[in-house]
Amino acid sequence: MGEMTKSLEEIYDARQIKVLDGLTAVRKRPSMYIGNTGIEGLHHLVEELVDNSIDESLAGYCTKIEVIIHLDNSVTVKDNGRGIPVDIHQLEKKPAVEVVLTKLHSGGKFDKKSYKVSGGLHGVGLSVVNALSEYLELEIKRDGKVYFQRYEKGQRKTPLQIVGKTKKTGTKIKFKPDPEIFGDLEFSYELLSQRLRELSFLNKGITITIEDERNDKNNQFFYKGGIISFVEYLNRNKNCIHLKPIYFEGEKNDTYIEVALQYNDSYKETIFTFANSINTHEGGTHLVGFKSALTRTINTYAANNNLLKDLKEGLSGEDVREGLVGVISVRLPDPQFEGQTKTKLGNSEIKGYVETLTNEKLGGFFEEHPTVARKILSKVIDAARARVAARKARELARKKGGMDSTLLPGKLADCQERDPAHSELYIVEGDSAGGSAKQGRDRKYQAILPLKGKILNVEKARFDKMLSNDEIKTIITALGVGINQDEVDVSKIRYHKIIIMTDADVDGSHIRTLLLTFFYRQMVGVIERGYLYIAQPPLYRIRVGKEDVYLKDEEELNRFLLERAMEKVELELKGARTRLGGKRLLDILNKLSRFDYYLRRLERRGYPREAIKVLLRQEVSLPEDFGDKGRLMFVHKALRAEGMEVGDIATDEEHNLYEFSLQGKINGRRVERKINKELIDSVEYRNVQALYRSIAGLETPPFIIYYKGGQHRIESKVELLQYITNIGKEGLYIQRYKGLGEMNPEQLWETTMNPERRSLLQVRVEDAVVADEIFTILMGDQVEERRRFIEKNALQVENLDI
Amino acid sequence: MVEEKIKARCPRCGKLIHWEGNPYRPFCSQRCKLIDLGKWIDEKYRLPSEELPSGDEEREEEM
Repeated sequence: MGEMTKSLEEIYDARQIKVLDGLTAVRKRPSMYIGNTGIEGLHHLVEELVDNSIDESLAGYCTKIEVIIHLDNSVTVKDNGRGIPVDIHQLEKKPAVEVVLTKLHSGGKFDKKSYKVSGGLHGVGLSVVNALSEYLELEIKRDGKVYFQRYEKGQRKTPLQIVGKTKKTGTKIKFKPDPEIFGDLEFSYELLSQRLRELSFLNKGITITIEDERNDKNNQFFYKGGIISFVEYLNRNKNCIHLKPIYFEGEKNDTYIEVALQYNDSYKETIFTFANSINTHEGGTHLVGFKSALTRTINTYAANNNLLKDLKEGLSGEDVREGLVGVISVRLPDPQFEGQTKTKLGNSEIKGYVETLTNEKLGGFFEEHPTVARKILSKVIDAARARVAARKARELARKKGGMDSTLLPGKLADCQERDPAHSELYIVEGDSAGGSAKQGRDRKYQAILPLKGKILNVEKARFDKMLSNDEIKTIITALGVGINQDEVDVSKIRYHKIIIMTDADVDGSHIRTLLLTFFYRQMVGVIERGYLYIAQPPLYRIRVGKEDVYLKDEEELNRFLLERAMEKVELELKGARTRLGGKRLLDILNKLSRFDYYLRRLERRGYPREAIKVLLRQEVSLPEDFGDKGRLMFVHKALRAEGMEVGDIATDEEHNLYEFSLQGKINGRRVERKINKELIDSVEYRNVQALYRSIAGLETPPFIIYYKGGQHRIESKVELLQYITNIGKEGLYIQRYKGLGEMNPEQLWETTMNPERRSLLQVRVEDAVVADEIFTILMGDQVEERRRFIEKNALQVENLDI
Repeated sequence: MVEEKIKARCPRCGKLIHWEGNPYRPFCSQRCKLIDLGKWIDEKYRLPSEELPSGDEEREEEM
């Protein structure tokens, strides 16, 4: 296409180069033009040349830019654009290229007709590079000819001359920065690469190469995806929340805007902004517009989808930008740069443009891609939750106790001892228990903190218990440890024994679970150091004559009663002509009693007693028994013969074994139970099985009991146990404690707090892990799971006992 | 020591966690720990109770 076919408007020649200023000032005050004469300023020179080539590419005339760092730290920048005009400038009466190189603020980009949008460094142009170079040589291929010219320190050394012929077009400039101006003349391959890569992202389709002759390094940058590739590049070592970057573009009043963004799972925000390919490090109106629209769009989406239930205050700007990697690029006719380093976009109208575009396009994207939107929202809401939580934790540390956070809570009855190693803190739950504990303690080294679980009506007939935040605050202050987002410092703790003392009922065990979980999650150091204990108040008080005996649990009670009965009874086994009494009888009855105890526990979990007995008779004892299908058939048949409802034998995929189901009952309600490895592995079954063997000596009924001179015929083992236990109860007063409050201060001291007699369970981390798991089940959103838990409550509470 | 044997999951997100050298244990991250703390402070953790709230309890909350 010849020049004649172009309209006057489109002609790029000397007539369009306007002269704005002279050059001498540049060498006098270089910093005014390139920021500084340090390493940044030095590299600015190359950027300036590359930017000119980019401008050619934006105008649609250049596809390739080459940068070469030579051995002597001179640099060549070469493009395949149209070549700088060489015709005579009408005003200056010299070749246009000479004007461009010697007059400040001259160049095509000051005329909007030549370049719709232009990068360049604020228009200082090639002349500044020329002025600050020891020498500069240019080679222009244009109109079939090759032109050459050399400058030194901005001064023309040769006239523009034709040195050859060519079919190509383009500009090639080689320059060496002037040592009189720059202290450090060493170019950094890395720094230049980074900027060139950036430029290739921003100008998709352009190829930029860099070559370093000093060490033979080279690289080529070409990104079809443009700023989408840029975002992918920035996220290359990150875990992204959604697969592909979100991209949108648009044009408003001659301004072209494109945005790409993608979230990763980090907490960092990385946003790069550009105006006409210039990295606007200081941000500006395009960034402000984007941020404001992002916050608004995400909040609107969250509100419309009812995702802000527990976040009344909404999502902040920081929340929505956490883990965000974004690139915003705008191209506009008259960029204004402000700020310290002139890298802040100042054009005020751009804010509105970017804002409108982002609101519209991002909002639309969320509507069309709800899955991606949900993922982003979930991340952003977590950020908000954490922010709010951090604030509340700070407030909690400040609140009440007010000015003095070291002030101990009023509820705490502290001890006199100041050495933590010798101090104990009882955390006591229950209405009157706190009072009894205060009276019964040894105030020298025992402190009491009464807790009242807060009760809340959740539904008509359902109540929930919790630790109120006041109580959490109280615990924290009483312990003297801070609580915050970082590791809790346990070294300043005020007690080396922290003893949780709760009632032996369901509520008590729930409060204990809450406390254990709280310590495990938020103050695990306390558990790791072995400072956390569980008190073991007795469950029974027995009055024998004038003496009180305290027993921990049902098992202890049974043993006590049997022992007592032994003094009075003898047992005759059918067939064996001997009578059993004393120790031998006790031993066998104890085993029977424990056997029965575990059977009952299994029963409570829904396994019928008869079914377990069949398993025992069939000697099912090892997990391997469930790998043998033939063997399992026998067991299956035997259960059916006993009238059990059993399901077909199926594979237990989790263990690569077999299993089958069985109809059982809990409180009269039918439940399905699995006969499998898990059952065999349970503590209950293992105990039942071990005891079954050792009571095998106890032959089949009837049994004859000799008691108080009489003979009593007993028809079953269960009955036998009951009969003898009842004999043990004669003349006793047995009290079962429902709560700590039923004990008077002396009793509480004697049984639970006196170091001479009490037994404390030390909580180990492993125990706390279990407590946390139970807690997680309890907290689960699934109502069904929660209901099931309450059904099996007794069992789980015992698990908690460790 | 005991800790080395501990196999635990982050109570919030379920990820297997490192115990040793993890200041946020038993959580996987500061983020998860903080959000959990927020739930305690907001009294979100509740267990079913068999007791009924008594009158003076309410009054004490007011004080």
